[in-house]
Amino acid sequence: MTLFLEQLQGIAQYYPVILKGVGVTLALSVIGIVAGTIVGFVLGIARASSNTLLSFVVGAYTDIFRGTPVLVQVFVVFFILPEAGVELDSFTAGALALSNIAACFISEIVASGIRAVPVGQAEAAASAGLTRLQQLRLVVLPQATRMIVPSLVGQFVLLVKDSSVVSAIGLLDLTRSGWIIVQSVPNGMLVFSVVGIGYFLICYPLLHLSRRMEKT
Amino acid sequence: MIKFNELNKWYGAHHVLQNINLEVAKGEVVVVCGPSGSGKSTLIRCVNGLEKFQSGTLIVDGLSVADEANLRQLRMELGFVFQQFNLYPHKTALENVTLAPIHVRKLPRKEAINRGREILEKVGLGDKFDAYPQQLSGGQQQRVAIARSLCMQPKVMLFDEPTSALDPEMINEVLDVMVSLAKDGMTMIVVTHEMGFARKVADRVVFIDKGVIVEVAEPEAFFTAPKNERTREFLGKILQH
Repeated sequence: MTLFLEQLQGIAQYYPVILKGVGVTLALSVIGIVAGTIVGFVLGIARASSNTLLSFVVGAYTDIFRGTPVLVQVFVVFFILPEAGVELDSFTAGALALSNIAACFISEIVASGIRAVPVGQAEAAASAGLTRLQQLRLVVLPQATRMIVPSLVGQFVLLVKDSSVVSAIGLLDLTRSGWIIVQSVPNGMLVFSVVGIGYFLICYPLLHLSRRMEKT
Repeated sequence: MIKFNELNKWYGAHHVLQNINLEVAKGEVVVVCGPSGSGKSTLIRCVNGLEKFQSGTLIVDGLSVADEANLRQLRMELGFVFQQFNLYPHKTALENVTLAPIHVRKLPRKEAINRGREILEKVGLGDKFDAYPQQLSGGQQQRVAIARSLCMQPKVMLFDEPTSALDPEMINEVLDVMVSLAKDGMTMIVVTHEMGFARKVADRVVFIDKGVIVEVAEPEAFFTAPKNERTREFLGKILQH
């Protein structure tokens, strides 16, 4: 027991590293969720549109990213894009890759929500003289959004956890802070338990929120 | 007010509307009936552009429906009532009614709300302003739907089987609203099997079968002395009880 406490103390003295890691993970998560949701809605609306070409192009784009590992995508953005002349620091590269993959998954969720709204809704709105955009904004999207909130929040949670891949390009996020500490602390199990708890504390409010919204 | 001229529509190879010629004058009430699959819903959905047609012309209030650029302008003047009501489930009765006046007619919110309340009261729903559609019975929902169209102050009201999805005891409350509209001089096209309604307020009854207008007559003549064999057969089927 005293050994355990000692080890815990050993980890505790590295708290600046852990805090830095939590900060980076939080920042990446917030950027990914906000940008991913905005871009995801735009792509999702395009995906559900009656324009088959537009829908196909968006579908193909999102399939490419949904069908390949996030780690590979992060590598491509960080290591391959510079060869094409796009030089990004590791944080920007990570944020970009994470926002993009989130947008891809969210677009399919949004598109399925839009398709689930009965055709009669848009017909009623059109019959009253609403423009396409008004039909979408005032009638279809509010109903679609209500249906997809649980899936959306589930996607947010996945994003927070997936953000750990950025440790592979040297970003000091929560996962990487664990790697650093474990090099000077003997109990790796304990270190990564702390890391895991950190992720859980970030995700739990989201899970809780989702459960509450599902009830209403 | 509304003029079909040699209108044709196909779904693939299926010829759903064939050489439709029909004119509806201002203030006139026309009831359209026919067996299911006869094209009567398609016909009324053409009037506000929910269905496209391939040939012929359809002029409403001086504007061609085939011209996409006219559609919004036209639809502001055409109320449309659906069989399935299609109320916006995320909005209250009053919000359903005021949405288009606010966003399409650009009426000040206050004025729209006053007008909406007035019209909801007129259809007997003065105590349901803040109710959501799922809290209302079918008959009440359909009356909200009618009020929603009326709030745009349309020149024409189109009804696509407005009572077909209702339980029998709720049909009359909806028909009563429609009868009073007709008496107020509203121009109406009503697709329905409610022959009592047709007899009471229709100026003319149109019988359509397999995409063809078979017979057009005043209600008295239509019900007592139908000229066409198919009309007689149809009336025999729906009036025998």
